[in-house]
Amino acid sequence: MGTVLVFGETEAGELSTGFWEQVSTGRQLCEQTGWTMDVVVVGCDTGPGERAACRSGATRILVVDDSRLDDPWPEATTEVLADVCDELSPDAIVMPRSLLGAEVSARLAFRLGIGMAMDVMSMERDDDGLVVTRPVFGGAATASIRLSGRPWIIVPRKGAFAAAEPVAAPSAKAVPFASGLDSRTLKTTPLAHQRLTDTGKDLEKARVIVAGGRGMGGAEPFHLLHAIADRLDGAVAASRPPCDTGWVEPMLQVGLTGKTVAPDLYMAVGISGATQHMMGCSSSRVIVAINNDPDAPIFRMASYGVVGDWREVLAGFLEALSDGQAKEIT
Amino acid sequence: MRIVVLIKQVPDPLLPVSELTVSPDGGKILGPENVPPVVNGYDEQAMEAALRIKEFRDGECEIIALSAGDNFVLDVLQRSLVEADDLVLIEDESLDTSDPHHLARVLGAAIQHLGDVELVLGGRQASDWDHGQVPLALAEHLDWPCLTLARAVRVDDTRVEVERVLSDGYQMMKCGLPAVVTVTSELGELRYPTMQMRLQARRRRPVQVSLEDLQVGTDIDPEWRTLGVSMLEKTRDCRFIGPDDGTEAGRQLAAVLLEEGAIVSIQPGGGV
Repeated sequence: MGTVLVFGETEAGELSTGFWEQVSTGRQLCEQTGWTMDVVVVGCDTGPGERAACRSGATRILVVDDSRLDDPWPEATTEVLADVCDELSPDAIVMPRSLLGAEVSARLAFRLGIGMAMDVMSMERDDDGLVVTRPVFGGAATASIRLSGRPWIIVPRKGAFAAAEPVAAPSAKAVPFASGLDSRTLKTTPLAHQRLTDTGKDLEKARVIVAGGRGMGGAEPFHLLHAIADRLDGAVAASRPPCDTGWVEPMLQVGLTGKTVAPDLYMAVGISGATQHMMGCSSSRVIVAINNDPDAPIFRMASYGVVGDWREVLAGFLEALSDGQAKEIT
Repeated sequence: MRIVVLIKQVPDPLLPVSELTVSPDGGKILGPENVPPVVNGYDEQAMEAALRIKEFRDGECEIIALSAGDNFVLDVLQRSLVEADDLVLIEDESLDTSDPHHLARVLGAAIQHLGDVELVLGGRQASDWDHGQVPLALAEHLDWPCLTLARAVRVDDTRVEVERVLSDGYQMMKCGLPAVVTVTSELGELRYPTMQMRLQARRRRPVQVSLEDLQVGTDIDPEWRTLGVSMLEKTRDCRFIGPDDGTEAGRQLAAVLLEEGAIVSIQPGGGV
């Protein structure tokens, strides 16, 4: 019988945020094929991740707990996953849509001489393999791709598969897996991990994002976006022009040349909707566009739109939020 | 030191979606004919990284721009000769593909054909297919180390060290040469060439290399096939919040988002 392997990436021992979407993808594959699901949890001090993975409904849960994997190390992680594949011979692998997951997938695919698909939105089995769809050109178009050689390597798009619910009782016990990782034979070496804290919230985890574009006209107006983001416990982001012109930190950029985010609410202020930006935010649950150009392409990709001067619109918006706050107090 | 910078011609990503169309064979997306393609933005950053290395080495460095593809617009690609010492083009119908493995094999053969290449720099991904696989596959193919997502690249004669961007900061990584390094937009500002440099570049010609020269076949990977692409007219039905008065529209927007659940409730002191 075939198997689907879900790669459980960990961060400080916890499974990464997209794990349950991977499980959902894995379950869908199992439904279409009649295969069973395995999970491998990889990282350092993975205890919390292992316990959570036991609720995934997987038949087998393998754990690679290795202090050398404390910081992201794509080459080492590829070696570990290649070892796991040797042992389990999976027919499909579901990888996380993280920097590490994307890189490890590409390396493994070349090594195994097979194809892989990034940002998968849907999957359908046919006689020759698995046909998947994925966004191209900033989500303006979709491409369908057939993966035939196995294992199929699939990286689900953020938000495309609803997060799976954990099962009530552990479905299997986590078992340590001894990988043959030998860091002396690896060609790359990680030196030091510097975490930055001064660039605001981690954009990829924020539930609300307020983003500004070229239409903001300068650095100063971003204060208003911060005020709104603070009120909504969200984060501020930007399209490429404000980053290129130095109005905001490059770390805040969302888009092809920046981060990919999928918050509950994405407010695009003064952003026209070039493909390069939409690639980074089109998976958001609700997209709000505020722009003074009624023909701006962003309106074709937004859930709600306001045509007007963002200064006025945001002033009214903030006022309404403040009224709401006043009501809560009284 | 000989550095190869991988460049790719792509439709201008600043084009609005409405300007893109599907090719007659349904296999790819085309930009409008009157708007020239551009060199992938990340690749320009890779070129900038190469120039910084050249400066650091007091000019003791040869930069070769390398591109594999089809339907090249020479005017566009030739601009890389402003920065690069040479431009090598491999043009073949089979290279108009999104199969990263075929591209990696061809680029790998070209790099071996050039000889003495110590560092390959490329963008972290291209803005058309957005797959980000070619440099990684190339490194695997050459059996060279690969460091990715560099916002800074430093080399000495035997090794390369990068600052690798992470979602919450960066990490330092190093490896020996020869190596493949991918560069990300956090690298910082590009330099703008003078008119004189542009004119000088125009007088120089690219070197054309064929797949035959490289002894690489034209077979694309049968394990991975693009079946077709389709444009989305729109991805969502936009509900417009009506009033002409911007302030009032803003107020209504807040109410609608509350109702929608996008803003859960508004707590004193912030929070949802």
